[in-house]
Amino acid sequence: MAKYVLSRFFQMGLVFLLFLVLSYILFDAIPGNAFQSLLLNPSLPDYAYDQVVELYGLNEPLLTRIQNYVINFFKGDFGYSYLQFPKTPIDLIAERLPRTLMLFSIVNIFSFYSGFFVGKVLAWRRGSKSETWITITSVFSYTIFYPWFALIMLWFFGLKLNWLPIGKFLYPEKWYDAPFDSDVVFIEMIKYTLYFSLLFFLINIFTRNIESISKRRNIRIIGFASLLVLSIIYWNFGKLEEMKTYAGDIAYHMILPIITVTIVAFAGTALLTRTTMMEVLKEDYILTARAKGISQKRIRDRHAARTALLPVVTSFIFTIVTIIDGAVLTENIFSWPGMGQLILDSVLREDIPVAMASFSFIGITALVAHFIADISYAFLDPRIRIKSQG
Amino acid sequence: MSEVNSLKESRKENFSKNFNRFKQSKIGMTGLVIVVLFGVLALLQPLLFLSGIWDYKTYDPVVGYDAEKYIAEVVVCPDEYPNERYSERKDCPGRNEVTLISVKPYNPGIKEGDTIDRFRQPAEPSGKHILGTDSLGRDVFSQIMEGSQVAFILGLLSATLSVVISTILGSIAAYFGGFIDSYLMRQSDLLLMLPSLPLLFIISAFTELQVWHLALVLGTLGGLGGSVITIKSQALQVKVKPFVDSARITGGSRMNILFSHILPNVAPLALLFMVFGVTGAIASESVLSFLGLLNIDMSWGLMISVSQADGYINQGLTYWWLVIPAGLSVTLLAGGFYLVGRGLDDVFNPRLRKR
Repeated sequence: MAKYVLSRFFQMGLVFLLFLVLSYILFDAIPGNAFQSLLLNPSLPDYAYDQVVELYGLNEPLLTRIQNYVINFFKGDFGYSYLQFPKTPIDLIAERLPRTLMLFSIVNIFSFYSGFFVGKVLAWRRGSKSETWITITSVFSYTIFYPWFALIMLWFFGLKLNWLPIGKFLYPEKWYDAPFDSDVVFIEMIKYTLYFSLLFFLINIFTRNIESISKRRNIRIIGFASLLVLSIIYWNFGKLEEMKTYAGDIAYHMILPIITVTIVAFAGTALLTRTTMMEVLKEDYILTARAKGISQKRIRDRHAARTALLPVVTSFIFTIVTIIDGAVLTENIFSWPGMGQLILDSVLREDIPVAMASFSFIGITALVAHFIADISYAFLDPRIRIKSQG
Repeated sequence: MSEVNSLKESRKENFSKNFNRFKQSKIGMTGLVIVVLFGVLALLQPLLFLSGIWDYKTYDPVVGYDAEKYIAEVVVCPDEYPNERYSERKDCPGRNEVTLISVKPYNPGIKEGDTIDRFRQPAEPSGKHILGTDSLGRDVFSQIMEGSQVAFILGLLSATLSVVISTILGSIAAYFGGFIDSYLMRQSDLLLMLPSLPLLFIISAFTELQVWHLALVLGTLGGLGGSVITIKSQALQVKVKPFVDSARITGGSRMNILFSHILPNVAPLALLFMVFGVTGAIASESVLSFLGLLNIDMSWGLMISVSQADGYINQGLTYWWLVIPAGLSVTLLAGGFYLVGRGLDDVFNPRLRKR
């Protein structure tokens, strides 16, 4: 096992090196470079462009640049952004990443719970008319043409009903004389969301062994209500009271993207749960449970659904990797200034250091996730033999 | 000879048996109906052109032009609303009316109350144009048909390519193991590490992507990426089955075992991947042409892109024929293929068959 892990580490390093080189070559293959707009500026002298290109070392041959980049990368030096000069890629990512993670973590949690519930019920009602129709509907909400759907949602809620803002992170006019930076407020919001979800999760864990269903439900509702009261107290305390309105503004802008992405994303979980749950329902122990005379709902929720949860959770871990990739389109349509926008801008405007840094961030996340998945599969499934994996 | 015939017959029987089984799945049948419907749409357009029912000048999805002529009355919009003629500002100019300011520069001497010939673009649905025309006077229904041709060609081509590549490579990785396996797995890791949409942005920046280029790119990326890993894990389970051992003992060559014992047993899963792959390819194409990154004449994504650029999506249902059909087509066809895949899975996956 140790040998396998070690060789995997070695391979991962090699793959990552290849990944860096390949991405650099890809960015270099895009015609032009980030400074070409200097050529169009008539008030600059002729040599300005050449000077800047030389300053950033873009006139050197590709091989030298790749070599420099890779060596500096492993030293921990990611260079400076070409287009937002004094900022480093790390600054930019640190600014943008929390916004993307916050938005999509909430979406993922919502879609995970709702999808798991719907899938559970679908598998249980297999063959009925409602199962067919709900499955077909969720397939269409899974394959819906996403940009089109998002634009229609924007039109409906933003323009026609005028309930929600049309994209963007905040209303700039509300922030003119704000005593805080929006990032500071946002970090407070992230903290609050973390506390809230942690407490909520704890309530769920502690109540899950209560036998009577109605009693459990009542305790959960009371717990949730007291959490809400606690959060009102939390936001009226100390400096958070001043931030309250500003945080509310950001939260108001998050509603529409969250609803839209959840509608698209929940169906994937629902369909996966449906399949795994159908497999589980054929197991012998379900038959045993029925023979014992346990109530149907209990068999569904306790015996079948918990087993079906495992593959769904695994796929849930993988969706975390694809968050940033998937964020590109969403953030573009909703003008949400997160990682996706950063990648898109840096790729289109050839801000190579920023693009490379964000690509390698995604790459490292994906590598680590695959590594963990491989190791855990090897532990969990004796059929997949370590030896044959090499 | 008779052997061949009986083999053919048994295959036919097998097929009809399997199809009967597939018919049990309502989900799968719904998907099949949708796919067939769009297939008919895709085939109908060339037939309409060849039979002369449609002429290229009017109905061509890219360069066709037709505009409805109407006589408009020149009006001046009042400042105050509501008044006796209009209840809201957006009602002026109404249907068959045109504001004085917008025609004055081209028609000097025109005044309020005159009439003028105008062309209606986009024109709403009528008997001649079932789904109306777009802002350039092109028939929307014809564009939908052209779009479904593009979707079918691209989806099937890229899905087939990706499945062929991933099945062969996955089986090879599982069967030979060792260095080849490690290499192939790390290669798919490498491709999975690249974020897909930005990658396609980069590719479209240095080449002009046509439909079949995109099919090649999507097929290769999909085939070398994630599906190899899944196919490999399936092939690993086949590899340890007794019949592979017995084939080896009876002296089957490596190639023989690989191609006649392992591949056919992985094929059902691969077919499933192909059906789901079509969904992914259609979605990717629509997104790319929506963002204007494809060098393509007409597609559903492009139709949405045009109606967004002209601002019709923000007007909601006023211009529904520019907004709804194209987006709905993408959703329906991609969903149709997905439903077929689900139906196949429910019926043929032994672990999912009904109790």
